[in-house]
Amino acid sequence: MTRREWTTVSGIPLKPAYGPDDVPSEYKTSAAPGTVPYLRGAHPLGYRSKPWRIFQLSGFGNPEDEAERIRYLLEKGGTGFIMEHDRMTGDNLYDVDHPEVVARREDVGISGAVIMSARDCELALTGIDQAANYAHAGGGVAQHAPFAMAAYWNVALRRGLKLEQLNGTGQADFFLTYIGCPPLHQIPPAAALKVNCDIIEFCNQNLPNWVPVSMAGYNGADSGLNAYQELGALFACNIAHLDEIKRRGTVPLEKLATALGGVSFRMAMDFFEDICKIRAARKMWHDILRDRYGITDERATRLRIHIVTAGSAMTYQEPVNNIVRGTVMGLSAVLAGVQSMGISAYDEALSVPSEQAHQQSVRAQQILMHETNLTAVTDPLGGSFYVESLTAELEERAYEFMREIDENGGFIAALESGFLHGVASENQLRLEDMISEGTREIVGVNVHTSDHDPFNIDGFQGSLDAWERGMQRLETLRNERDTDVAMRAIDDLAKTCADGGNVMASVMDAVGKDVTVGEVGEVFRTEFGSWKFPVSF
Amino acid sequence: MTAARILVAKTSLDGHWRGINVVSRALRDGGFEVILAGMVTADTIARVAADEDVDLIGLNVGGRVEVVERILDTLAEHGVKTPVFAGGTIPHYAVEKLEKRGVRCFPPGSSLDDIVACARELTGTVA
Repeated sequence: MTRREWTTVSGIPLKPAYGPDDVPSEYKTSAAPGTVPYLRGAHPLGYRSKPWRIFQLSGFGNPEDEAERIRYLLEKGGTGFIMEHDRMTGDNLYDVDHPEVVARREDVGISGAVIMSARDCELALTGIDQAANYAHAGGGVAQHAPFAMAAYWNVALRRGLKLEQLNGTGQADFFLTYIGCPPLHQIPPAAALKVNCDIIEFCNQNLPNWVPVSMAGYNGADSGLNAYQELGALFACNIAHLDEIKRRGTVPLEKLATALGGVSFRMAMDFFEDICKIRAARKMWHDILRDRYGITDERATRLRIHIVTAGSAMTYQEPVNNIVRGTVMGLSAVLAGVQSMGISAYDEALSVPSEQAHQQSVRAQQILMHETNLTAVTDPLGGSFYVESLTAELEERAYEFMREIDENGGFIAALESGFLHGVASENQLRLEDMISEGTREIVGVNVHTSDHDPFNIDGFQGSLDAWERGMQRLETLRNERDTDVAMRAIDDLAKTCADGGNVMASVMDAVGKDVTVGEVGEVFRTEFGSWKFPVSF
Repeated sequence: MTAARILVAKTSLDGHWRGINVVSRALRDGGFEVILAGMVTADTIARVAADEDVDLIGLNVGGRVEVVERILDTLAEHGVKTPVFAGGTIPHYAVEKLEKRGVRCFPPGSSLDDIVACARELTGTVA
């Protein structure tokens, strides 16, 4: 075996043991959990007062399949749900009759449920009480977010609910498709920033209990950004949002900080590095808001964190071992102190989760929550020489990476130039080299391999008729809706985009008039144009 | 002797580029010329394969096996006899189907050395 270097996976050198001299003084006198700068936790009583939310992603096939799976997860003990729309139609803003979709029609529904209209969304929410459940309505991808949320909110209105009754979160993330996996067409990052700020304003006026956007460092990390780059890039992205709305002067800064203060990070297999990353994140967000924006309201500077365990850590080989990986990553999240969690499924490397795998993800969280006594004491690792030292080191390196992003013109410019993609690519290649050389060991992949897997786990196939049934629903919708009303709403949306008006309000109105995701996409492509992704693949 | 040419294309509309980035670097280091086609349809893959006179086609699979099978059918209809190999999230039942049609599959966790060795075998080139 090649001699390994003792570093974190991000390359931070590690000593064989740590002592008091390794801890910077600022970290020796850390304030108690629940007090600024929140290094040790967001709440004084931790999980005693606020257990983390069991928040799993779900969706495949037809809207009815999604409804069934959401009900299943809630019945098993999920305390909220995340809707995953079919990514081919959702991320791209295509209806199922778009030629690019028709050419690959069997792929429709493999990665999420096909939801092209508020009517489809209503089917996907059959038997699910929107007033009683905390929801992520889909729209992880920035250009898809206005449609996904408008569909969810319009379903609520059609059911007689008021928008202010709804609890949930948007996402509109900049890391998933602007770094990790671009669709064929997407609006440029600067246009998405504009639309995201429209979402924040719309929610500020209409949905007091809705987190308007939620950046996902997870997606940057699983695309190659290391732990401190994930932190630095995420806060640089949030700063871009803060600066834009501050310039508009439409939302009070404290409310804005709260709106942007729900984020997600990735927990992967470097146990302590990721724990320290989460601790550093809380402190950084507080310090940035205080030092850069002068925000002193302590409630406004408290970072709320969702974590997802790394999908990329889940192996294709001997997938049952992924139950252990999910548990270890989930444990690190519990120790770091988080508000909600999704554990990736053991069949992640094969397909979207089967029902069994989904149940197992929920059960892993419940075992951590109920059987281990982990919820009794907050920040149990606080004061560890190693943990405090590594937390300080990550914070320092994250600020350094933020400075690099600044030198590259700020977050949006660093996306447009491909700077962030270059950093991600370098890490992707380095991690792969480490697997090839054997300096990074993965059981069943490059060590302790076996040709025989006794568990017979294979990919979940989902529903094979999602495209045909989507075509039928689309035809019905076009026949039944008031065409003149829908066409006028599309024209209004185009005018709003061209005039710089609030795009979220206009999409909300259009989707209420049964305008489809593909029609919203046509307007966006015409009005905002398509971004040329800086990497060839 | 000029380098053997490999056309790499994605079968689905899923733009994850991490796998292609890593594999195409390994193939280039292995002496191949790699042509990246991106997210294109079966017809485009067949046309580019013929126009560019490639020695091997690599499919990055992010969706259903039926879409991959359509690409194989389209290649056959266009008279393209170039060998094909595939990588990506390919469940076992799909690997079986594709291997029956002569497509070697490299699911997640495959070694880059094995992928390069396969490319050499399929193009009749040596290191």
